[in-house]
Parts: sequence; C-alpha cells; structure tokens
Amino acid sequence: MPVTSLASLVPLATSDTNVKPPTGFFGAMADAATWFIGLFQAGGVNFMGLVTGIVPLLVVLLTAINALIRLIGPERIDKVGEMAARPGLQWYPVRYLVLPFLSVFFLTNPMCYTMGRFLPEKYKPAFYDSAVSFVHPITGIFPHANAGELFVYLGIAGGITTLGLNTSDLAVRYLLVGLVVILLRGIVTEIITNTMLSRRSAQQQQTQQTEEATA
Amino acid sequence: MSSATVTGGSSGWLAGVNRLLVTIGKAVGGVVGILYQAGRDSIDTIIRNILPFMAFISVIVGIINKTGLGDHLAHWVSPLASNLPGLIVISVFCAIPVLSPVLGPGAVIAQVIGVLLGVRIGKGDIAPQYSLPALFAIDPQVGCDFIPVGLALGEAEPETVEIGVPAVLISRLITGPIAVIIAYFASFGLYASSN
Repeated sequence: MPVTSLASLVPLATSDTNVKPPTGFFGAMADAATWFIGLFQAGGVNFMGLVTGIVPLLVVLLTAINALIRLIGPERIDKVGEMAARPGLQWYPVRYLVLPFLSVFFLTNPMCYTMGRFLPEKYKPAFYDSAVSFVHPITGIFPHANAGELFVYLGIAGGITTLGLNTSDLAVRYLLVGLVVILLRGIVTEIITNTMLSRRSAQQQQTQQTEEATA
Repeated sequence: MSSATVTGGSSGWLAGVNRLLVTIGKAVGGVVGILYQAGRDSIDTIIRNILPFMAFISVIVGIINKTGLGDHLAHWVSPLASNLPGLIVISVFCAIPVLSPVLGPGAVIAQVIGVLLGVRIGKGDIAPQYSLPALFAIDPQVGCDFIPVGLALGEAEPETVEIGVPAVLISRLITGPIAVIIAYFASFGLYASSN
C-alpha cells in the first residue's frame, strides 16, 4: 500500500497540501499509528450505530413492559404453574409451552426458572430445558426478557438490516419456531429424565437385593 | 393523605369528596410510581448489561473488519453456514455434552458468532433466508452451563440435579439438530428474492 494514500487519511495532513507526507522511520510509525487507531475508529462507528439505532427503542420498550409487568403482578402466573404440574397428555403444552413463555416474559432470565418449584421432581429438568431454550427466541420481540444476551438475535438481525430488509419477519418466525422447539425439547428431556430415573431405581433395587443375598 | 383523616367527619359530603380525592391521588401516585420505577429499571439494565456488551461487540467487530480477519473467517464459515448440512454440523458441534457447558456462559460465544454471521449476511456471503436456521444452529448450548443453578432456583432435590444435568445435555444432542431442521423449513418464504 502506498505511504501517501494512508497518510492522507489523517485529518490534519489533508488541510495543508504543502506539507509533505512523513517518510522514513517516522512515516512508517505514522502509518502504523493510523492503522492502529483505524481499528478502533471502525469499532467506534459500529458502537455509535448500535447506541443510536437500538438503545432509544430499548429504553422505551423496556420501560413500557417493566411497567406492564408491575401493574399485572408476576405472582398471577403461579396458578398456571399449579396447572402445569398435573399429569396427562393435555397438560404437556401448558407445562412446556404456556408456563415457560409466561415465566420468561414476566419473571425474565434468570428468575423464570423459579417457576419450576410448582412441578414434581421428574418434570423439573424438562421445564428448565424448555424455559432456558426460550430466553433467546423471545428477545426478537420482547428484549426485556433477557436484556443481557440480546446479541444472539441482534447480531444476525444486524445483517438483515444492513441488507435493507425488515427484521420483523425474522423476529416473528424466531419466536414461533422457538415455541415449537421448547415444546419438543421439554417432551424429549422428560422422556430421557424418566428413563434415567427408572434405570436408577432398578439399579438401587438390584444393589439392595445383592446386599440382602450376601448378608 | 393525612388531611383526609383530619378533616374527615366534620361534615358528610366533605368527607366523601375527601375520600374520593385520596383514592384518585393514591391511584395516580401508584401508577406514576410504577412507571418511574420501570424507567429506572430499564435505564439500569441498559447501563449495566446492554451498553457494556455493545462496547465489547464493537471492539471485536472493528478489529475483525479492519484487519481483514473477517474475510479469512468467512472463507470457511460462509460455506458452512449457507446450507442445511453445514448448519446441522455447527449445531451438533455446539451440542456435544462436553463442549456445551463450556460454550454456554453468558451466551458470549453465541452472541459473538451471531454478530460475525450477521456481518457476513450483511455482506451477502450468506443468503438472508439462512438467518433463521442459523439462529438455532449457534444456540443449542443455551443454558447448559447453568443447569444446576437453574434447577436449584426451581427448588429441585440434589438427586434431580444429578439426573437432570446429563438428561438436558443428552437431550440437546437430539433436539439441537432437529431445531435447525424445523427452522430451515420455517424459513421458506423468508426474504425470498422476488426474481
């Protein structure tokens, strides 16, 4: 890369055309400095874009939803937790779809996992799996639920914005597919947990029997 | 509020008016208080959680873009992230039970990869309709580092935690790739080119 073209990027050098661009040792040092500062100038432009583009929306949205949650009262979803504890096929969507959604929305990450206390022990790992898998899909539309980890969605959505496309379509599909995935994840994890629980109780019985035989 | 108790009882209708005013005042004060507290919370969240992460992301993006590292990364990430088998490979890798708890903490890795893929999508190396399956491909390890704490928050017994940790980790190995496939089929018609 020619030395002159890089040196001309320094704002002071461009104002006076009579000054020769630095050459030799100091020229190389100046180029290195320009390159070094350029790394962070690019980062600064990126930061400015994030702050002006995303933060104002977040301030208003977070305030509105936080106020809504306080007005409604998060303790009202306790009833759903009690319903989700019931056995039977028709309660699966309540346990791994409605309850995770409501607890992530109202209690937000990480307090949403406390809703597991209403469930019997055998459902708890599956509920945790279901709830934790929803803390990113929800951020597309409701960023208050997991404000610390927004960039899983925002990172990829940033590319869509760069292309000049609307991110709403992606946000809605992310949320809907997320709901399908948490239901599936809850069911699969519940099956695995139950298999492991029954295997463990069978093992315990066996060891008890061998202990009785040797005694 | 205190004036209501002082003047109340002097005459019937005055007490009634007073009670009405107090009720209205209380209700309005309550709503304003809630809104104000909500604003305080959201500003607090932004300063504590969001701005620091934006700073961190900006440093990484600036360095990667300016040094040309991004173009080198793109050479092997883009082919992987722009077709279904490649995305499934990423999701299986992230869901390997030994790796998933390592990749999990704070979702930092998922967020950095998300930003990198976003940059590639913006430059046109990855087709935009792959954004949806990619979101699931980079995230099968979500919360894998947090299972014991999350279960403890749900007041689980130690025996449940002992079984729950491997159960969730194994489940991710199955549901991670399935999530990518579901997302792939759900992405039909998403940002489809009009020509």
